[in-house]
Amino acid sequence: MTTWTNLTAMAKIEVVVDGDDVPAVRDLFLDAGATGYTAVSGVSGFGHHGHHQGKLLFNDRASLSMLITVVPIDRAEALIAGIRRFLDGCHGVLFVSETHVSRPDYFG
Amino acid sequence: MTVSSPPIDRSVLVADVARAGAFVAPYWPLTSFVAVNPLGGLVEHSFSEAAALAARWFGARTHLALEDYRREYDRGTIGRAELDRAISRHLPWVADALAIDVGRVSVDVIDLVRWDLLHGPVTDAKVTPDAPLADALDAVLTTWCATFVDDAHVPWAMPGRSLGLYRSWRALAAGDRRLAALVGADGRGRIATLPDDPVEMLDLALRSRRVSEADRVAAIRTLLLRTPGWAGFARWCDDWAPADREGVRLRMVDLAAVRAALDHLAPAHLELVPVDAPAESITARVDAAVAAFALATPSGVDRGAIEAVLGNVTSADRSAIWLSAHEWALRDRLLTRLDGPAGAGHASPQARADAQLVFCIDVRSEGFRRHLEGLGNYETFGFAGFFGVPVRWRQLGSETSQARCPVLVSPRHEVAEVAVDDAAAYLSTCSATAGLHDAFYAAKGGIASPFALAESAGWFAGPVAAVRTLVPGRAATSATEPKWWRRFTSAPRTAPVVDETAAHERHVGLSLEERTLFAEAIVTTIGMYEFAPLVVLCGHGSRTTNNPHASSLDCGACGGAPGGASARIAVAILNDSEVRAGLAERGIEIPADTWFVAAEHDTTADVVTIFDREVIPTAARALVDALQLDLDVAGERNAHDRARRLPGNPDRVRDRGHDWAQVRPEWGLAGNGAFIIGPRSITADHDLEGRAFLHSYVAERDPDGVALETIMTAPLVVAQWISAQYYFSTVDPEVFGAGDKMLHNPVGGVGVVVGQSGDLAVGLPMQSVMLGDQRAHDPLRLLAIVQAPLERIEGIILRNSGLRQLVEGEWIHVVARETEHDAWTLRTPSGGWEPWHPADPDPDPATPLLTPLEIS
Repeated sequence: MTTWTNLTAMAKIEVVVDGDDVPAVRDLFLDAGATGYTAVSGVSGFGHHGHHQGKLLFNDRASLSMLITVVPIDRAEALIAGIRRFLDGCHGVLFVSETHVSRPDYFG
Repeated sequence: MTVSSPPIDRSVLVADVARAGAFVAPYWPLTSFVAVNPLGGLVEHSFSEAAALAARWFGARTHLALEDYRREYDRGTIGRAELDRAISRHLPWVADALAIDVGRVSVDVIDLVRWDLLHGPVTDAKVTPDAPLADALDAVLTTWCATFVDDAHVPWAMPGRSLGLYRSWRALAAGDRRLAALVGADGRGRIATLPDDPVEMLDLALRSRRVSEADRVAAIRTLLLRTPGWAGFARWCDDWAPADREGVRLRMVDLAAVRAALDHLAPAHLELVPVDAPAESITARVDAAVAAFALATPSGVDRGAIEAVLGNVTSADRSAIWLSAHEWALRDRLLTRLDGPAGAGHASPQARADAQLVFCIDVRSEGFRRHLEGLGNYETFGFAGFFGVPVRWRQLGSETSQARCPVLVSPRHEVAEVAVDDAAAYLSTCSATAGLHDAFYAAKGGIASPFALAESAGWFAGPVAAVRTLVPGRAATSATEPKWWRRFTSAPRTAPVVDETAAHERHVGLSLEERTLFAEAIVTTIGMYEFAPLVVLCGHGSRTTNNPHASSLDCGACGGAPGGASARIAVAILNDSEVRAGLAERGIEIPADTWFVAAEHDTTADVVTIFDREVIPTAARALVDALQLDLDVAGERNAHDRARRLPGNPDRVRDRGHDWAQVRPEWGLAGNGAFIIGPRSITADHDLEGRAFLHSYVAERDPDGVALETIMTAPLVVAQWISAQYYFSTVDPEVFGAGDKMLHNPVGGVGVVVGQSGDLAVGLPMQSVMLGDQRAHDPLRLLAIVQAPLERIEGIILRNSGLRQLVEGEWIHVVARETEHDAWTLRTPSGGWEPWHPADPDPDPATPLLTPLEIS
């Protein structure tokens, strides 16, 4: 494994969900102590539920969105548990990976 | 600051609250009423599955009562052919079932099922469970909710509101005498021991009731659905409210926590996890059938055979068959009418129309367009009333802006209205009026101040009230205002600033590229490639008085606001020479002599106002003047049509909006049943009786299907919400509707309650869908009629999961044909297409589409 000098290891959590479910995932992030997140709307692709259309002209809710947050590793487990529980009731996928950041104070 | 790691259970419980809340339809505040499907949280299920869940969870009726369907059958709205078709499609086994032996003769199974539908005992009566303590605790909760959210006229705000409902309630609950009476001294004493955090409160309550992890979502859903109105508002706050909205947020986790706390304190508890209903008894239906057929035949009847048949036709099946038959009736009539000869013989536009008018797709535009087309060389189009420009609109003198687009879109731009003339006098009058308004309502809402208010302002308010009551039309007209007063109240000339380089404010206005993109979307979506010298974009709104639900009559595509501002913005873009040059580069040539004009249709008065006349070029003014005369005539004719379905003096139908005692200023979108996507040529000359949303579309101009995809994923979806709201408000006005308007009390600046207190009343008032005991709206699922290649439609359905759910879950029905020369085909829920044939092979095209109302 590569060792990064002067960078801090953290957990990167990426969630792809329906546009309608974005607020709930956002609230899960914030309730678990995430200090910020990035949302990418109009995500297109192909997966378990077939084709997903990307950006639609007049409907921001119908396409998929990706939400990304980075949290300290000790806070990740609870957040992952919450998101897994949420995804039990809807479509969506969760990716978790280790990442390294230069400004750990930005992420809690 | 050190933040401790959250426990896993907490995150999981927060997720459970989100999952439970997803079943609740959001409720928009009445200031920007948005029609929603009250079962919108269940669209992942089929309509019939969702109906069963709603009956169980909400205790709601999801179809008309059996007697109501039978009444429609008796009056001919539903025919035997449609009923038989619905039976055979819903119960395909009926066709192969052996006839039942009843002695010397036999009875076909379809005859038995039809008899049961028409005459069998009613077994679907709505039962409201009797739970006085739970109801009383709900009432405690709703009172606290109203106190918490009230940022309208309350003189003293609830202390600690910024902490959220649960924490602020917990701090004050010990002083609630009504609560103390319900939970006793012991319960009251335990309030102080409750956790400070709403998630921990929920956790405590669920653990103490031994709710398993698997049942937690169901239990939280039960708590939320005790007050579905406030839960809907909380869902809106959580998931839909603008991030910059001022005021407190009622959150679902807080609402669930307070209800859980009330249950935790009470001496008797709610059944948090619903139990399955007992199996349905069909004994009464079998007895009745046996008796009926025994009378009809000389010998005995095979009771076992009848029981076997009716045992496979549940109450839910009976409702579903009747609904399907009702839908076949409209579908057959509408398609037969579209295929039939033209109606009134309106002139088609000559080579180049004198004027083209783009109206909102709203069903109320259909009649107006038809009348106008009959008056001159006009061409009309239908487009969502925000005209494809999703922006926030900041009115002159205002510091805040409102979204003027469908709620499915998050506007990224703001457009400000600026004065062209000196606006100082007007703005200072606005400021003073706003101050007086606030002072008046602050005094009205105080404890002692209303007495002083009556003394000080009664001399003015009394006569105004008398005029409003006795001559409502006169009270509303500015013609009665003295000239000196008009100097202060007349709005100055204004213009929307659509160019970001002219706005001089960050995030205000649009770039040239964006303006050109929106302009292109406007003309390509509706297939407008030839332009008249005058093109009018006509939004719509409704002027009504003393009507908390006023915004429900405005434009849904504009976020529950009047559409005039959107029309002005789109017109400013389309008249921009730089935009036109950009369009020309994209192959869209707008002639130099074409001028776009904004207008607004007041649907209550049937008056069309043309905006910004002073900037209309001289060459176009004669056309505008002639058009205004025809708009006036079209308005008169449309109002005449509307008067036939409204009670009261038909000559005063256009004044109803000014009458503050009028509970039914207009019918709004009552009667909506179909959404037609295609060129006007397929609907022109046919009186569709205000039953159809009309979206212009020319398939030949949209080879890649982008425009159709836009229409089917946005306006069609919004129309389905509207259709569903009217549907459910009609079938169960108490649960899904807002009840009797006569008893409404505005609460919290967000909604109304029926009577003195209670849950927030969601949906439409009874007076919006009923006239006495007559229904003004036929509750049917929306029928989408599309003229486009089937492969294109199918591709769009398959790659848009939300749309696919609506189609394959039978929330909407889709009928299509490629061209006017092709036969209609039906999209089946399981995929694939089948030819349409009317159930009655010889239908009468003149049969009304809309069930007539008896007006006394």
